[in-house]
Amino acid sequence: MTILSGPVRVGTPARQRVGRVGLYLALAAVAALFFVPFLWSLITSVKTLPDSVRFSLWPQHPTLAGYRDALTTFNFGRYALNSAIVATVITACNVVLAGLGGYAFARLRFPGRDALFLLVLASLMIPDQLRLVPVYQMVSSLGLVSTFQGYILIKLIEATNLFFMRQYFLSLPRDLEEAAKLDNAGYFKTFWRVMLPLAGPAIASVVILEFQGIWNEFFWPLLILQDQSKWTLPIGIAQFSFAYQTNWPPLMAASVIAILPVLLLFVLLQRYFVAGATTAAVKA
Amino acid sequence: MPRARAGWSQRRKEALVGYAFVLVPMSVFAAFYLFPMLYAAYISVFDWGVRGKIEYLGLANYRELLDDGLFWRAVRNTLQYTAEVVVLQTPLGLALALIVNGKIRARTFFRAAFYFPSIASSAAITAIFIFILSSDGLVNRVLGWFGLPADTSWFGDDRFALHAIVGLNAWTTSGTIMLFYLAALQSIPTDVYEAAAIDRASRWRTFWKVTMPLLKPAHFFVLAVTIIGALKVFDQAYIVSRGEGGPNYSTLTIVLELFRAAINDLRFGYAAAMGVVLFAFLFTVTLLQRRLFGNSEAS
Repeated sequence: MTILSGPVRVGTPARQRVGRVGLYLALAAVAALFFVPFLWSLITSVKTLPDSVRFSLWPQHPTLAGYRDALTTFNFGRYALNSAIVATVITACNVVLAGLGGYAFARLRFPGRDALFLLVLASLMIPDQLRLVPVYQMVSSLGLVSTFQGYILIKLIEATNLFFMRQYFLSLPRDLEEAAKLDNAGYFKTFWRVMLPLAGPAIASVVILEFQGIWNEFFWPLLILQDQSKWTLPIGIAQFSFAYQTNWPPLMAASVIAILPVLLLFVLLQRYFVAGATTAAVKA
Repeated sequence: MPRARAGWSQRRKEALVGYAFVLVPMSVFAAFYLFPMLYAAYISVFDWGVRGKIEYLGLANYRELLDDGLFWRAVRNTLQYTAEVVVLQTPLGLALALIVNGKIRARTFFRAAFYFPSIASSAAITAIFIFILSSDGLVNRVLGWFGLPADTSWFGDDRFALHAIVGLNAWTTSGTIMLFYLAALQSIPTDVYEAAAIDRASRWRTFWKVTMPLLKPAHFFVLAVTIIGALKVFDQAYIVSRGEGGPNYSTLTIVLELFRAAINDLRFGYAAAMGVVLFAFLFTVTLLQRRLFGNSEAS
């Protein structure tokens, strides 16, 4: 690895040129490694079944049959709708609850606040795997297995989002709230009219990361949403692959359907994802 | 929202509003995070079925775990997976970071492209890799061009299945590692490189003597995050093995075995004991990391 960060160039011009050619060759190879799986699935999704196991870069008979079969015969339209429903509801709940809670932990004084916040941090430390049995038992006792309510209930608010909103509110200057206080605005009004509009970028991060997280999530939907009518896209993809392993075009079409919305979000709102990567690290 | 009553002091009102704002989040954390930790420990000392507790067993579930060959197989697989994936993806992530930190064209694009697999659906990516690594898939085609054996079913052969998951997850996660290293690289002041240039140090030497030592906190952070993440591997193992951990238990990971014990065998007590052991292990790893390397998140 001779590629160095930093602005300083060393070595003769000729050596530098060789270095740059090498750099771009390496870059092209690595980029190909990252693109090929996605490209191959996209190409396969518009192939016919016999065509899908042949090595042809371009489909001989391009067809949307894979998408049609996936969306209708194999119910992926339903799974996509289920994914959209749970991701939207859970994201909305997280925004509201993380906003209110984050504001309270950052700005309001109440006895036991720091102790309660320690509990928020403690819940970040508890792995999902330890929670699997007891949470499943609780959801099951409530009669909520295979219901969206059961899944939404355990995901109403995630500690990372609350933590993130609190940090953001802490970073805002206090002057504006003081002004609102002088105007005799209530706490909720101050939060709603003054603080929330200022928290736009933080809210955008929570919306994007939570939506993407739930859209992709495998572990909890697999556990809670057991009935086929409640499957989300990732569960549908797994089950389809178990049942029809070599029916590649619809499987690749379903994968494209699962990946595409996140790709669009990512292309349009990239900076929020990158900002969130550091928050995600707090979780681990 | 509690209505303000005349005569209440401002402080009391503020406290009430504070409690109201955190009530729902704290209830969720208490009910679905903190209580389950205790509940898991409680369930783990029972023979516990789908209808609840059957019989008090004391530590019998834990003793059974010690003698359970399948559980130890899962532990071995998970440790092997963790070692391989960390060794593969850490240098890969660092290399990507070094490349996209350099003065290259379209580097924002490359950063985004390398990071994207980290945020795409794990199930969809696993399905794509099942296809690419199938016996008549793309990887075998390419191997065939080089005259290598080209009919391996990578996920269907117990010699390769776990390594194939390693490859798939290294491919997926290295973009996240790239981001961590990128942040660290950008915080290195440029004057240390100027000093190295004045000393006429070669690029190779500058990398090993200047960059690497300065990345030390980032290395520890990346290792801690990736090791803990790798020990919890589940989605990919579940999907490539149809939830069974096959072929021949070669892809059975700890979390997959836990899931199977709970959902397939409905042995909740036994699965809870597994969860407690896994938690104790993860907790020890985390504490060890904190103790040894301090709080390197700040980097």
